[in-house]
Amino acid sequence: MAISSARESLSHALNNRFLPNLEYLLQGSILDSAVEHLMHRLKGLCDNVDTSPETFHDLEVCMSLRQPNTNQPLMLRVRRALGRDAPFQMRYLGQPEVDQRRPTLVRSCMDCACTNGILDFLTEMGFRLEFEYIAKGYMFRKGRMKITVSKLIKIVPGKQDMANEPISQSYIVELSVVAPTGQENVGEEMRVFAEQLKPLVQLEKIDYKRLGNIP
Amino acid sequence: MGVTVLQPYPMPEGKSGAYIIDHLGKRLLSLGATHAGQFLVDCETFISTPQHGTPTRAVHVLHNSECPASTFSIIDNGTGKQVALVADNIFDLLMLKMTNTFTSKKQTKIESRGARFEYGDFVIKLGSVTMMEHFKGVLVEIEYKPCITLSYCWEMIREMLQGFLSINVGKEYPSYFTTQTIMNAMGQQQLHKQNDIYEPMDTIKQYLEQFTNYRKHVQMHSAMGGTVGPVMMNTVVGMGRP
Repeated sequence: MAISSARESLSHALNNRFLPNLEYLLQGSILDSAVEHLMHRLKGLCDNVDTSPETFHDLEVCMSLRQPNTNQPLMLRVRRALGRDAPFQMRYLGQPEVDQRRPTLVRSCMDCACTNGILDFLTEMGFRLEFEYIAKGYMFRKGRMKITVSKLIKIVPGKQDMANEPISQSYIVELSVVAPTGQENVGEEMRVFAEQLKPLVQLEKIDYKRLGNIP
Repeated sequence: MGVTVLQPYPMPEGKSGAYIIDHLGKRLLSLGATHAGQFLVDCETFISTPQHGTPTRAVHVLHNSECPASTFSIIDNGTGKQVALVADNIFDLLMLKMTNTFTSKKQTKIESRGARFEYGDFVIKLGSVTMMEHFKGVLVEIEYKPCITLSYCWEMIREMLQGFLSINVGKEYPSYFTTQTIMNAMGQQQLHKQNDIYEPMDTIKQYLEQFTNYRKHVQMHSAMGGTVGPVMMNTVVGMGRP
């Protein structure tokens, strides 16, 4: 039997809808003073009750490539775990779709683990640094849903390891699922879960276009 | 995962690629190797659209059926700097997002595919190289699994190549592994690749080296009106095969 090429297997996964390529997302924020209550609520609701929530401390670097004949630059986000040896994660996010009939924001999403040469590689391709920040916080799971509670930290250029300042006095809360195309019930599942976090945090579809020109 | 050496098989006059592959396969089987599936290594090259003031960059994207979940890429920035990357297969889809900047040179899509054999600690792959369905040559890949440093097992691999496949191979390390002198911030440094820990990327780089030779040969061939160019001479002639 002839062996199929990697490209063939990839199109097979796409066509048969088992390649997760859509992200369903709800976002909200909570003040530092109230985050403990939210953590307790999440510990009670989520799967990883017996273990404490998984922590993360990541540096995210957003690189952009201006392409001829297109208005929007191509943006790729590269995440590196600080203080832990793990592959770099590269992520492509498409234009968000805020459809009134859908309970969550939906955008195309591609996650790709890669070796540590990625930033150098992208730079050689012509990508330029757009912005960078540090995200530090906790991750919970509930079925296929992922809930993160994270603090965003500013970076003083060239001083990544120094004590950097938080961007605000609150935590960003994100509820997301990355699923293959055509799984519409995901949104409903997320809406129900988001209801259970009220009134501590109000998770919503955030329309970035309304926020002005923020990437 | 061990050490892999890739060797082009010199094509004798008047013999077809299929004949050579068949002949080598039979030889391996009669010497006690067992047939163990198929393999495929493919390579597609994307070229940056010319922009003012920047050299043309090339991104080579390769796959190896031995590492089916990975996509290997090597970027050549046009000024001699190369950066290698190993990523998930999704990387192929990301490349398609950049078609305005990087266009695939479809006519140079090249692959080596064929049968895979096992003999004790060795894996031998007989690849027939095709570019756009045209046969280009035979590449023999030989892997010695228990070792991760070429300098410790080169003699054994060499013996295997000579004894099993009757390819006459010199005592010196293959060109990919030979010592290179580079200049960097630390001054002049010698790289002894034969003493380094072998990685899957090294297999890919050897394939890219060979594929580039086959591609160049096509360009030379058409440029020189059908005579064999000097690039091909380096790769095939001079290997001492009777």
